[in-house]
Amino acid sequence: MTLDVAFLFLQQGIASGLIVGSVYALLALAIVVIFKTSEVPNFSQGEMVMAAGYIALYLLVFQSLPLWIVMPATILAAFAGAALFRRLILNQVARANGSPVNLVIATLGLSYVLRGFVRQTGFGDTPRSFPPVVEPESILIGQASVTTLDLVILATAIVVMAAFFWMFKYTKTGRAMRAVGMNPKAARLVGVDLTRIHMIVWGLSGGISAVAALLISPKVLMTADMGSIVTLGFAAAIVGGFTSLPGAVVGGFLIGIIENLVGLFITSRAIVLAPFLAIMLVLVIRPQGLFGGRVEIKKV
Amino acid sequence: MRDKTAAVLPRSEADLPGLSARSSVPLGRVALLALAVATLALLPFAVTGYVLYIANLLLVFVVLCLGLHLVIGESGQFALAHAAFYGIGIYTSGLAGNAFGWPFPLSMLLAGLVAGAVGVVIGAVALRMRDIYLALATFAFGEAMQWVFLNWDQVTGGPNGLRISPARLGAFEILSDRQAYPVVVVMTVLMLLLTILISRSRLGRSFRAVRESEVAAMAMGIPVRRAKITAFGLSAFFAGVAGSMFATFSTYIHPDSLGFQTTILVLTMIVVGGLGSIAGAVGGAIVFGLISEFLRQTPSYQEIIYGLILIGFMMYAPRGLFAFIRDKVGGGTRG
Repeated sequence: MTLDVAFLFLQQGIASGLIVGSVYALLALAIVVIFKTSEVPNFSQGEMVMAAGYIALYLLVFQSLPLWIVMPATILAAFAGAALFRRLILNQVARANGSPVNLVIATLGLSYVLRGFVRQTGFGDTPRSFPPVVEPESILIGQASVTTLDLVILATAIVVMAAFFWMFKYTKTGRAMRAVGMNPKAARLVGVDLTRIHMIVWGLSGGISAVAALLISPKVLMTADMGSIVTLGFAAAIVGGFTSLPGAVVGGFLIGIIENLVGLFITSRAIVLAPFLAIMLVLVIRPQGLFGGRVEIKKV
Repeated sequence: MRDKTAAVLPRSEADLPGLSARSSVPLGRVALLALAVATLALLPFAVTGYVLYIANLLLVFVVLCLGLHLVIGESGQFALAHAAFYGIGIYTSGLAGNAFGWPFPLSMLLAGLVAGAVGVVIGAVALRMRDIYLALATFAFGEAMQWVFLNWDQVTGGPNGLRISPARLGAFEILSDRQAYPVVVVMTVLMLLLTILISRSRLGRSFRAVRESEVAAMAMGIPVRRAKITAFGLSAFFAGVAGSMFATFSTYIHPDSLGFQTTILVLTMIVVGGLGSIAGAVGGAIVFGLISEFLRQTPSYQEIIYGLILIGFMMYAPRGLFAFIRDKVGGGTRG
C-alpha cells in the first residue's frame, strides 16, 4: 500500500466513520441516559430501534403517508411505547424486587417480544430496504466520497444530540434527571417525581432510538434481527465511560471511525470484531472509560 | 412399566432418609428427588430417540446452569461469556475425538480443563471490573470467541460448522442418543454432586460472602480476588464439560448456536428457577428448556411467549419459580 492510498483510505475511513459513528453516538446516548438514571443497561434498546424502523416502514410504505407525518409519528410512538414500558412493566418489576438484574432481564423479555411481534406481522420475513429521505448523490470531501444522504444523517444526528444536551443541562426536567442520576433518594426528598422522570427518560431514550432507526434504516437491510446494531452503541457507551453522556457521543464517533479504518486497512472480515476488541481494550486499560469518573467501591 | 417404577422408587427412598436426616431436607424435596430419579431411570424405556435427544439436551443445559449458578448465583459476578466456554468445550472434545480418536472420558476432562484454563485467564483480567463493566467485558469476550469459532476455518470448520465423529471408548462407539443418554445422565449427576460439594465447602461459603459484600468478605480475610477467579474458572470448567457432553450425542456444531443468545438462555433459566439456589438452577433448566422445546413447534409465537414469560416472572415471581410455588402453595414447608 503506497502512502497516497493510505492517505485516501484514512480520509475515507474518517468520513464514513463520522457518519455511521453519529448513529452509534445516538444509540449510546439512548443507552447511557437510561443507565445513568436507573443503573439498568437496556438490552432491548436494539429492538426498540428495530421496532421503530418497522413502524416507520409500515406508515411510509404500506400506508403511503408523507414523510413529514411518518417521522414525528414514529418518534412519538417510540417515546410513548418506551415510557409506558417503564411505567407499566418496570415499575412493577422494581416493586417486586428492586435488584437491577431483574430489570435487565425484563428488558431482555421486551426484546424477545418486540422481535417476535415484528416477525409475526410478516414484515420482518424478508429483508426490506427503507426508502432514503433524500436522493443519495455522491459528493467528494477532500478525497473521501460521501453521499448527500450521509450528510443529512450526520447533520440530523448532531442536531438531535445538541437538543438533547440542551434539554439535559438547562430545563427543569433535565435537572431533575441529573438529580435522579446522582441520588434518587435525595431527589425524591426535594420533590422530584421519580416515576415521572423515569418515564420521561425511557421515552426520550425511545425517541432517540427512533431517530437512529430513521437514519440508519435507509443504509442497511431491515430484518427483525437488525437490533444487533445496538452492540455498537454499547461499545460506544463503554468507550465513553458508560455514565458519561459526552463520552457516549465521543465513543460513538470513535467506534465508527475505528470500524471503518479496520475495514479499509486490515480486512472487512474483522469489522464485526472491532467493537468487541475496543470494548475489551478499553475495559482492561481504563475500566472507567475515557470519560467515566473514578470507579467507586461500595462500602458495606 | 409400573413394576419398574416400583423397583426404582423404594431404592431411592431407602437412600434418602439418611440424607434428609443429615441436612434436614423437607419431605416435599425428597419426593421430588425420588420422582426425578425414577424419571431419569425409566425414560429410555418409555420414549423415542427424539425425546431422548431432548432429554440429553436438557441435561446439558442443567450442567450449563450449574456452572453459571456458581459464578452468578453463588458469587454474584455477572459473567456473560458462558456460551463461549461451552463452545470451547464442544470444539475441544470434538477435535480430540476427530483428530486423535481420544476416548470420550478423557476428551471430556480435557474439554473441561481447557475451558477452565481459558476461564481463569479471562477471569484474572475481567474480574478487576465489577457489575455492568464485568458483564460487558465478558459479553465482548463471548462475542469475540464466537467470531473466532466462525473464522478459524482450519480448526473449527468456520461457517461450515464442524462434523463431530462418534464418541468412542475402546471399541465402543456412541452412535445414537439412546447410547449417549446414560453417559449424559452420569455426567449430569456427577456435576450436580460436585456443585453441591463446592457449595457446602469453605470455598462455597467464601463465594457467598463475596456476593453479599466484598468489603466485609475482605475484612474477614477471604481472598476476594482469588475466590472470584476460582468461581469464574469453575463455571468455565462446567461449561466446558457441558460442551463435551453435547459432543457425545451430537454429530455437528455450528458457531451460530454459541452466541450471546445461548448465554442469555442459560441466564434466563437460572433466574426463572431462582437465582442463588442449586435446585433453582436445575429446575429452571428443565422447566424453561421444556417450554422452549414446546414452543419450537410454533416458531412464530416462540419469541413472544418467551419474552412474556421473562417479563411475567420478573413482575410477579422475581425470586424464581420455586420460591413462587413455595410462597403460594407450600406456605410453611420450610419450618
